[in-house]
Amino acid sequence: MVERRVIGPTAWFLGGAGLFIGAVAAWLVSQGNPGNMGLCIACFLRDITGFFAGGVTGQGAVAYIRPEIIGIILGAMGAALFTREFRPRGGSQPLVRFVLGFIFMAGALIFLGCTVRAWLRLGGGDLTAIWGVLGIVAGVLVGIVFLKKGFNLGRAKAVAKPLGWVLPVFAVVLLVFAIIAEYGTAPGWTMSTAAGEGPGALSAALFMSLIAGLAIGVVAQRSRFCSIGGIRDAVLVKRYDLLFGVIGLLVGATVVNLVLGQYNLGFVDQPVAHNDALGSFAAMTVATFAAMLLGGCPFRQVIMGAEGDADSTTAVAGMLVGAGFMHWAGLASTPKGLAPAAWPALAVMAAVVLAIAWYGTRKTA
Amino acid sequence: MKELDVRGLSCPMPLMHTKKAIEDDPTEVLVHADSGTAKANVVAFLHDAGYTVTVDESGDEYRIRGAR
Repeated sequence: MVERRVIGPTAWFLGGAGLFIGAVAAWLVSQGNPGNMGLCIACFLRDITGFFAGGVTGQGAVAYIRPEIIGIILGAMGAALFTREFRPRGGSQPLVRFVLGFIFMAGALIFLGCTVRAWLRLGGGDLTAIWGVLGIVAGVLVGIVFLKKGFNLGRAKAVAKPLGWVLPVFAVVLLVFAIIAEYGTAPGWTMSTAAGEGPGALSAALFMSLIAGLAIGVVAQRSRFCSIGGIRDAVLVKRYDLLFGVIGLLVGATVVNLVLGQYNLGFVDQPVAHNDALGSFAAMTVATFAAMLLGGCPFRQVIMGAEGDADSTTAVAGMLVGAGFMHWAGLASTPKGLAPAAWPALAVMAAVVLAIAWYGTRKTA
Repeated sequence: MKELDVRGLSCPMPLMHTKKAIEDDPTEVLVHADSGTAKANVVAFLHDAGYTVTVDESGDEYRIRGAR
């Protein structure tokens, strides 16, 4: 094979995108978001589930429609429409993708953060996130084993146009509820975390979060930023451009946290985090393995859903339902540590992801 | 000329297939893709491998042609 550049010009773009997203995320914390949670796809989707179903799932502490999610979806949708990349597509094992989304969320809520927040926690000086980041690396490596063996959930095809609009329409519905909850009276069956009752009550102002989300959505759609893909591409195809995304994210968050005086280096008293090393590592390994089989991190799933990918929207639906389940079943971690049944739950989920990986590999072998 | 179809494939399969296709150094390669991300990744990858790349967009398909 001929010589190939392993770092191309898109590395600069991805690094810049990561810097921007990390910096905005750290800034959102200074504006009111929970510590090291300026942006967390898992946490924010979980909070949205809490708003709609918190009364049933026992999510009183984490119930709020995060406007960042609305902004990200609408921003990515706008960018995709503008560049003619909005394409309704789907049909690549949607049910399997729902299950993988569910399991991703479950792992993230045991670790306390998604694959984006793991880097942001590290960028805030939270050294307990190292166990999660090591889990990301492990999950990527396990996923690569199956990808190399030919794992494939099958090709997506063009689908009926309305299916491509499900996630953007969902974002608009969320926006309506967010505005009602902020400026009017939300219906009695919804739930919003009361001040002082948990991280759900901590947030930047609605329109600040929304605008930040819009900007992040545009940048993520154009750059194809992925919180796991960088490590994956580096190992699998020896291409390092995407890795600059998470490096930028880490640097951007670290610098802005330092400038704003939010940087707290250490293993103790970290916001919305626990210090169970093995639990964090295992949870993120399982979550990342699931994301590898989906073809991208949860952030990417949201972005692709906003581009008309119905399969990604289904994965996001799995995440929303998974979040409700984890709280309802008492399996989500707290800053005190893992729930008693978290380990058996992780074992079951690891077995399910392995079965999916084996099935997807055998089918194409 | 090497021709490959990465339409409908999730990441990172478009890149894996492209990498495999250029292993024996074809002078021309044609990749059929249908998502913006696959297009962007394949185009960048071929550029990095020294190909001159052109993209035709027809309907829902990107025809990515690399030559050297």
